[in-house]
Amino acid sequence: MSLPDWVEPVARYMFQEGLRGTLRIAVISVVASTVIGVALGTLLTTRFWPTRTLIRFYVEVWRGLPIIVTLFMIFFLGPVIGNQLEFDPFTAATIGLTLWGSAQVAEATRGAVQSIPREQHEAASALGFGWVGRHVYVILPQALRRLIPPLVSLLVGIILNSTLAQVIGANELLESAERSVERLAAPPPSGIFEIHAIEIYGAVMVVFFLICFPLTRLAAYLERKLVA
Amino acid sequence: MILAVTYDLWSYVSENWEPLLRGLGRTLLVSGIAIVGAFVIGAVLGAARAHRVPVVSQLAAVYVEVVRNTPILVQIFFLYFGLADPIGPWPGIKLDIFTVAWLSVMIWGGAFNTENFRAGFEAVPHRFREAGLALGFSRTATFFNITLPIGGRIALPSSINTYIAVLKNTALLYVISYEELTTVALQVNALTLETAETFTVLAVVYLTLVWSLSIAIRQLESRLALPEER
Repeated sequence: MSLPDWVEPVARYMFQEGLRGTLRIAVISVVASTVIGVALGTLLTTRFWPTRTLIRFYVEVWRGLPIIVTLFMIFFLGPVIGNQLEFDPFTAATIGLTLWGSAQVAEATRGAVQSIPREQHEAASALGFGWVGRHVYVILPQALRRLIPPLVSLLVGIILNSTLAQVIGANELLESAERSVERLAAPPPSGIFEIHAIEIYGAVMVVFFLICFPLTRLAAYLERKLVA
Repeated sequence: MILAVTYDLWSYVSENWEPLLRGLGRTLLVSGIAIVGAFVIGAVLGAARAHRVPVVSQLAAVYVEVVRNTPILVQIFFLYFGLADPIGPWPGIKLDIFTVAWLSVMIWGGAFNTENFRAGFEAVPHRFREAGLALGFSRTATFFNITLPIGGRIALPSSINTYIAVLKNTALLYVISYEELTTVALQVNALTLETAETFTVLAVVYLTLVWSLSIAIRQLESRLALPEER
């Protein structure tokens, strides 16, 4: 059985343009979310309440809003506020996913840091570490163990949610799929006047499944191994 | 050209409250249908998973994994632009926009809820079921009188989190132009160009809904907590 002629160029376009766009958004968002989220989550455990309230507000807002509303907000509201806040779709999507992701990581980090026994803090203080040194060298390395499973889940969440960038027009996997469907549906010479929406969107689901299913399994495995 | 430089939330709301309220109504309607559906799917398939009912359990596992590991946006595209396309390969399946709207978020919520309920039912101590069977309850009666009330309570916090996520996911119905809150708000924005006011309203409404549901969870959690955990 040989594949129809339209499959090969469409697949190549979706992998070269679309999948690359998806991975670009996902990788930057995951790294930024982790760095910002761990910092904010650690600060959520301080005794100084104004800091805590402020970060708590940040976490609840970006976790509470539908991510799509956050993306629209950055994309449409940014330029209204100031010219330097005018972002291209890729940047807007990355910022939006980072706001959401860092809120998730902050909450997970708070739990992980608080799970470290008080004696560790006391021992570090006794050795002369300040607040920063105590957390960077003593507490966080231990908390990291509990943080790895939620970070893998975050990776899955960000990969799945990176499709939202399609709505504001970034050329990621779903957008490249939609363009392909529309192109094939066009009359010749640009298209072939056929509708292949089921095959193409089905293929997108398969690609996401192949990426995300192993990661979900990995997160569950690490959860059993590292946390229990 | 100078666009709206003034910020006047009050006149924005007083001029546009009607479409926005209709949008909010549709958001709540679709969420409501989807949440009820997700509860039923979750309870039935969760029970099948927990009790390892042959065939049903395996099919439910596939359903859960497929939905959880693919983006909901692609699921909506697949349903609406793929299956429901009137000139597509299956013109027999006629799904109107409203059906796709509640169905897509219900399928998503049902999959997450199946996991919530499975975990809840499996957390019911084995001795409780044995006690029920020993008292002469049939297996079905044991499920309805023991596993469901206890396991359902254990699953309650996580399933309410799923319902909150269902509510938030209705915003994605923007992509099929279903006129729920987000779609309507962006339509109003396109007409009035009052972007700051539009997003103030959107953020306030969504955060009010989500935060009040989260607070409700905590209330309900302490009230429905199992006696031995109080």
